[in-house]
Amino acid sequence: MKSFVNKKIFIESNEYTYRVEHLTLEGTCSTDHGPRNVKIKNLLVDKYPVTNQQYYFFLKKTGYQPRDSQRFLEHKPNKKIFNLPVVFVSQNDAIAYAKWVGGRLPTDEEWQYIAAGPKYLDWPWGNKFNPLLCNHDGNKLVPVNTHRKGESWCGCVDMAGNCWEWTAGIHDDGNHQFALLRGGSYFYAHDHWHVGGGARKNNYHWKLQILNEGINRAATLGFRCVYDAK
Amino acid sequence: MKELTEPLLWAFDVSMMQNKFTDKKKSIDFTLGNLNLSIDLNKNIFLKKLNFIKNINNELFIIRVENKLIPKNKYKIEKVFKNTDVNLTVISIDFSQNFENDFFKGRISFVQKKKNIIDFIFQLSARWHKDIPKKVLLKFPFIINLHKNKNFLKPGDIFDGKKRIKKGVWNLHEYPPSIISDNLGIETLGFEFYDQFPWQANYNLGMSEAISSENFEKFETEVQLTQELTDIILMKIYTSSKGREKIFSLWKENTRKRYDLRKYRDSNNRWIKKNYLQHFMFAYGEEAFDYKKIQFKINKIIKEGKQFGGYDSILFWHQYPRLGLDESNQWQLYKYLPKNYKTIKKIVDICHSHNIKFFIPFKPWDIRSNESLDSHAKSLEKFIKETNIDGFFLDTMSSLPESFLKIQKKFPSFEFCSEGTPREQRQIETLTSSWDQIGDIRRNFKVDINSNFFRFLFPEHPLNLVSRWSVGSDKDALIKRAAFNGMGMVIWQDIFGCWLPFSIEQKKKIKSLKNILKKYHKYFYGDNSIPLIKTLSKKIICNEFSNSQGKQKIYSIYNFGSNKINGRILKLPLAVMEFKQIYGKKVNIQIEKKQNTFYLLANLDANDVILVNIKFKI
Repeated sequence: MKSFVNKKIFIESNEYTYRVEHLTLEGTCSTDHGPRNVKIKNLLVDKYPVTNQQYYFFLKKTGYQPRDSQRFLEHKPNKKIFNLPVVFVSQNDAIAYAKWVGGRLPTDEEWQYIAAGPKYLDWPWGNKFNPLLCNHDGNKLVPVNTHRKGESWCGCVDMAGNCWEWTAGIHDDGNHQFALLRGGSYFYAHDHWHVGGGARKNNYHWKLQILNEGINRAATLGFRCVYDAK
Repeated sequence: MKELTEPLLWAFDVSMMQNKFTDKKKSIDFTLGNLNLSIDLNKNIFLKKLNFIKNINNELFIIRVENKLIPKNKYKIEKVFKNTDVNLTVISIDFSQNFENDFFKGRISFVQKKKNIIDFIFQLSARWHKDIPKKVLLKFPFIINLHKNKNFLKPGDIFDGKKRIKKGVWNLHEYPPSIISDNLGIETLGFEFYDQFPWQANYNLGMSEAISSENFEKFETEVQLTQELTDIILMKIYTSSKGREKIFSLWKENTRKRYDLRKYRDSNNRWIKKNYLQHFMFAYGEEAFDYKKIQFKINKIIKEGKQFGGYDSILFWHQYPRLGLDESNQWQLYKYLPKNYKTIKKIVDICHSHNIKFFIPFKPWDIRSNESLDSHAKSLEKFIKETNIDGFFLDTMSSLPESFLKIQKKFPSFEFCSEGTPREQRQIETLTSSWDQIGDIRRNFKVDINSNFFRFLFPEHPLNLVSRWSVGSDKDALIKRAAFNGMGMVIWQDIFGCWLPFSIEQKKKIKSLKNILKKYHKYFYGDNSIPLIKTLSKKIICNEFSNSQGKQKIYSIYNFGSNKINGRILKLPLAVMEFKQIYGKKVNIQIEKKQNTFYLLANLDANDVILVNIKFKI
C-alpha cells in the first residue's frame, strides 16, 4: 500500500456559534449544547485521522504500552492496512500519541469548527448528505484518503464516516464520566436502540460513557490531532 | 347442577319451537341461570329487559351494507330453538333478511353452562349477488345502551361520586368485564368480550377496544361474511347478586381455567416469587463503578441496598447504550469487561454470598443476521456455566422464546424476567416473572395509583413496579402504587447516565413495604385476591389480598380525593378477631360492629395509602 503524508492544515483563529445536537435515545449528556459563542485559536489540524502506519511508528519509537491493554490494537495493524485509520485505541492511547507528535486531541468545539467552518455547513462538503463522499454504510474501514472529495472547508478528510473520532477531555457530571465522539463511522447497526451509526452531521456528538479500557476501545473509534499554532 | 333445571319461561306458544316461527306475539322472555331476558321480535330484534335493567329497548344489532342500513321491520324470524339438558341450555333465534339483491341469515344464541356465566353469540352469513362480497359494518345499539346506563362501569372503572374514573388497569389480552350494578351495588352484571386471538375470526373484532373507548357510540365493526354463519360477537354475561367482587371472581376463575399454570407451581423456580426488590445496576456510573480502581462496587451496592430493605436480585446492565458503536455483539461486550467473564463471576459470587440473585439482560434488538435465538441460547448456556448467574432479563420483550425455554430444562432454577408484562396466554404460561413498567418520558406522565388487574388475575406471576424517569412526587406515588398493589419494585436510580436517586424517606417507605410483602407473602400472593372491592366512600379505592382459606385478609386502601376521610371505609365480610395497620402513615383505624355487621373505620389523609391486616373469626 502506497503511503502518504498526513499533512497539517492551518486553521485561523475565529469565533463561531457552537450548537450541537445530542441524539442519544434516552437521557442527556450534561454538556452545554449551545448556541453559545466559542473562540477558536490558531490551530494546525491533521488532514486525515491518524493512520495505522503513524500509530505503528509511534509504538516503534516510544515503546508505548497502555496500562490496561485489553483490546488495544485488537485489529493487529500490518502493512496491508497501514492507510486505514488506527482504531481500538482508547482516549488515553490517543492522547499518548498526540503528545508524542506535539499535539493534542481537538476539543468538541474545535472539532465542529474544523468540520463545519464559518459557514456552519451540515456536512464537511456542504449542506446536503452525499453517501459517495464518505464511508457511510460500508462493511469495513477504508484508507483515510479514499474520500478526498468529501473534505471539509479547510481540507480535512474523513470528518464524516469511516471512524468515530475521540475529542479531548473526560466530562464528569458528578456521577458519570464520559467523552464525546464525533463524525460517525462506517458501521451502521440495524436497530434504533443501537448507537446511531453511519456518517454523522458536523453538529452531532455522541456521548461515550467511560468504563474500563476494554470497553472504551472499539473497532470504529480513532482520532486525529490538532496542534496549537501561533 | 340444580340451577340448570330451572324452567325456561316462554311468553309464546309452543309452536314456536317448531321450525317455522308463526306466533303473532313475537316476544320471548326467558331465564337462564341467574339471567332474565326479554327479547321483542315485533319491529326488529330488540332487547327489552336484562335482569334489573329495565326498558333497554334497543335493537340488538344494526347492519349497514355499503353504507345503506338494512331497514327495520324486515327481519324474518325463521326459527326459535331451545335445548335444555343437564349440562347445557341453549336458546337461539334464527332470522333472515333479503336486502336488495343479497340475502342475509343470522342467529342469536344464549348458551349457559354455568349458572352465573352465559354466552351471548351473534352470528351472520350472506349470500352475495353474483358472489361479489360487499362491505358490511355492524353496530350494536343494545351494548351502546348498556354503556349509557348510569351505573355502567368499563373495565377498571369506579364512580368517584360524580363520574366514572379509571382506577384499574390491565395490559393483557384478557379484558375484564364491564359492569352494571343496581343502585345498591348488589345485583350486578358483567360483560366480557373474550379476546384471545381476534384476528383468527370475525368475532369480537375490535369490541374489546371499543368498550374501552370513549367513542363507543361511533364504533362499527367491519365483518367479512360468507354463506356459512360466522361468529361476530361472543359476549360473556356474568351475573352476581354479591356485587362486582363476585363478577371479578367469576371472570378470574373462568379465565384461568384456560391456562396451564403448572410452571408457576414448579418448586424449582420459587425463588423468583420472592424477588421483591430488583436493583438495576447501570455499569457506567459512580453508583456501580470505581473509575480509579477500575472495578465494580458490588459490595457498596449491596450495602446501600439495605436502606431499601435489601436487594433480592441485581440486574447488571452495560450493553445499552454502548451496543452499536462497532460490530461487537452483546456477549462480546462481557469479554471486554476487566478480566473478561471473571468480573461477572466475581460479582455473582459476592451476590450469592448475600443471598442475592443475579440477572444479565438479553437484547433481542441486537440479534445480527448471522445469529439466531438458538445461538443466543447457546451463548447463554455457556455464560451460565462460566458465571453461575441466576436469571436472564428480556429487554423490550414480553415473551419467552422457545430457545430459552429449553435452558430451564438444563438449569431448572434459572429464571426469566421480561421488561413487558406478558400479554397472551402462551407467554403468561411460560414467562413466570416480569416488570410492571409504567411511564413515558415524552409526555407529562403522572404516576397514578390504581389497581393492576393482571396482578390479581395471576397472583403467582411476580411483578416489579418501575417508572424509570419518575422523580419527586411521582416517585412517592410509585411507592404508594406498589403498596396498593402489594407488589415489589425495581430500584433503578442511574437511568442510562441520569442520576435520579430515591430520597432517604422514600427508601424507608420501600424498606417498610418490602418487609410487609415478605411477612405477609402468602396473602399478597394468595389466590383469592380481588382488586377494587366495594368501599363505603366514593373517594376510597381498596384491594383485598387473601388466600383461599380467607381467615386473614390484607386491605390496601387509598384515599384518592383531595380531602381527609374520616369514618366507615369498608363493610367487612365476617366478624373481626384482630386488626392492625401494617403499612403507611399511622392513622386511627377502628372496627365498628352494628347489627352483626362489621365495618372498618379510618381517618385517612388525602392521597394516602395504608395497608390493614384483619383476622376474621371463622
